[in-house]
Amino acid sequence: MSSASPTTTDQDALLRAGIDRSLRHPVMFFMTSGAAWLAVSIVLGIIASAKVHSPGFLSGCGWLTYGRVFPAHINAFIYGWGFQAAFAVIIWMMARLSRKECTAAGLILVAGHVWNLVVSAGLIGILSGNGTGMPWMEFPAFTWPVMLVTYFAIVIWSFIQFRVRPEGHVYISQWYILAAIVWFPWVFLTVNTLLHCLPGHPVMGAGINAWYKSALIFLFFTPVALGAAYYLAPKVTGRAVHSYSLAKLGFWSLAIIAPWAGMQKLTGAPIPYFLPYVGAAATALLFVPALAAALNLLRTMLGNPETMSASPSLRFTTAGLTGLLVLAFAAVVLNLPDSTLPLTQFSLSGYGFEILALYGFFTFVMFGAVYFIVPRVTRREWLSRRLISIHFLFSTYGIVTIALIALFGGLQQGIGQEDWQVPFQSAATRAYPYAVATTIAWIFILISNIFFFLHLTLMWLRLGRRSSHPTLLAADHGHAVSPHGEEGDIDNAGPGTASAAH
Amino acid sequence: MSSNNSKPDLDDSINVAETHGRVVREAAACAREKRIADNGIAPISLWAFVACGVVLLVAGGILGSGGRLFSYDSTFRRDYVRTPAGGAEDAGAVPKEALAAYMAKGAKIYSAKCNGCHGSDAKGNGSTFPSLVGSKWVLGETERFSMIILNGLEGPLEDGKTYGVMPPQGIGMTPEDLAGIMTYVRNNFGNAKGDVVTIEMAKAALEISAKRKNAGKSVNGVELDADHIKALPGDVLDPKTMVDPITLAPATAAAP
Repeated sequence: MSSASPTTTDQDALLRAGIDRSLRHPVMFFMTSGAAWLAVSIVLGIIASAKVHSPGFLSGCGWLTYGRVFPAHINAFIYGWGFQAAFAVIIWMMARLSRKECTAAGLILVAGHVWNLVVSAGLIGILSGNGTGMPWMEFPAFTWPVMLVTYFAIVIWSFIQFRVRPEGHVYISQWYILAAIVWFPWVFLTVNTLLHCLPGHPVMGAGINAWYKSALIFLFFTPVALGAAYYLAPKVTGRAVHSYSLAKLGFWSLAIIAPWAGMQKLTGAPIPYFLPYVGAAATALLFVPALAAALNLLRTMLGNPETMSASPSLRFTTAGLTGLLVLAFAAVVLNLPDSTLPLTQFSLSGYGFEILALYGFFTFVMFGAVYFIVPRVTRREWLSRRLISIHFLFSTYGIVTIALIALFGGLQQGIGQEDWQVPFQSAATRAYPYAVATTIAWIFILISNIFFFLHLTLMWLRLGRRSSHPTLLAADHGHAVSPHGEEGDIDNAGPGTASAAH
Repeated sequence: MSSNNSKPDLDDSINVAETHGRVVREAAACAREKRIADNGIAPISLWAFVACGVVLLVAGGILGSGGRLFSYDSTFRRDYVRTPAGGAEDAGAVPKEALAAYMAKGAKIYSAKCNGCHGSDAKGNGSTFPSLVGSKWVLGETERFSMIILNGLEGPLEDGKTYGVMPPQGIGMTPEDLAGIMTYVRNNFGNAKGDVVTIEMAKAALEISAKRKNAGKSVNGVELDADHIKALPGDVLDPKTMVDPITLAPATAAAP
């Protein structure tokens, strides 16, 4: 730490470049196939959403009925995109933070292919009518043991890297990533064993299922995204994380509160009395870890506002953390058992809350991480500032629309459902305009992500810019120089040439 | 080198300029990376504590609203009834005028029990099934009409004509059902008696039917003429009275 000599800096950079090189293929594989699944998921989401307001749409095709397309949409999102983005971030970030090259890239790559195969098989299972009907675990039952084994094959190396790391200090990102690595198999194994191997009372099964959804969001996707954000914010701005105590508060409150959340979806159902109420209270309390993390990271980034707005990574991360704050606020507002919970329990709001968590928070932070990691592992810079801006703007507009709809449309629909003196159809009528808006918002998000996928694929093909200047989102403001650096400043002029050395 | 704790290592043989060139070429992005600095030690700000405290209070309220959380006598909150939307509290069903409410109830029973023989227009077929439209026995004394419905009918009618045998319909019939069907037939299909056969009257009819001499057998014209040419006992109900359309009990709430 005390030394800043050129040699150690160079060795340091070489070590990091070595780590990046060792992980290039698995990371790029997970990111690109994840992005492809994201696009698939959004297409399915558009079809499902269109069927809500235009039931005749594609109704002739049995494979594309709502009951199949909707679970296919959400499962492709979670296991196709969410998990693969998380894998990319976990393996890269843990290698970097543990300062260890990855020695099992081939195995991870094979496991990654198996994972994709299982996701494809699961989706075919759902679309052909063989889904299990359990929300977020609709893949046919044979998939889950394979997924669990594949999961271990992918993340176990990160765990080993952590165990053999040279330094004693554990960085905040590592807490979160380790926690996610350990928490997911616990949740996944528990739920699948209880639902597939030891099925108890079906009502309790629905409760376990509701817990699984909540646990997946708050015990896997949230820690992965927070780990990434705790890495990106100080790394890009060059500032220390604002407050170490706040970080500890955020981590431990998440670890303590999150496992209790989820069962509030069963309020009023014949399950033991305390479960839904503890669930509702715990979900509201998730405000604490969310506020702690978002506040800490936003304060870190706001110390360097120019970087924050110019860096694609930080812009996406900031948006994601804003999404986290909105999510935390919604968790409080939507779970009041005597007012909002009955109104939102069976309405659009539940879907909106999940999409806010999965896309508005997790996915945005993952995009931030992708924009940071890819230039390093491919050693090319992003091709186009404009493509990144389009991706950001369309995604933001889309997700803001969906979040607003979830809150207001869900309440409207809930009021319609509660009004038992009018036909139930009035609930659908109330939800109709919001359903149309959801479809349009998904179309926006699809456009943005098709560009993202193409951009990412070009990067993997090593067609990125060969430059030593990062792609920043800084506006031109009539500068003579391009924001990407001076003309001709590319590194292929040969080793040690003047243009190559910054 | 300037490092205080640098140790002799293999990299000493590396040409610094060449290494640097390589770093710049191969690790440009890594070379310009900033270090992750040590963690900040800023204290947690007061307003963050306040915000979390407010949420703690809200969460406490949520738990509190669960009542006795660990009561295992009941597995769920019995009074967890979805709150009706504003303005609809405790109103029950919207009250209707008595005639309409009784007839609505009767219409269902007619279509279930009477429609098959007497037809949807109640005109019967002229041979086996008599017409109910304008019939003296339908529009006349209510006791006679109720006995026919409850016990069935055989033998010649008062016009001397013999139709088929009508099976008894009273099995499982509640006073509400009987009141509804009688009111319906007397005020529909072109009949317009305009009065309501109340539940009280229907109860009386069920009692009378049970106490008949030959209870359990169908009535015939002779018995009807002998015992049942009278109105059912009970107070007359103004057809415009507002009643609950489900229970048919007089509604206290005003019309909407």
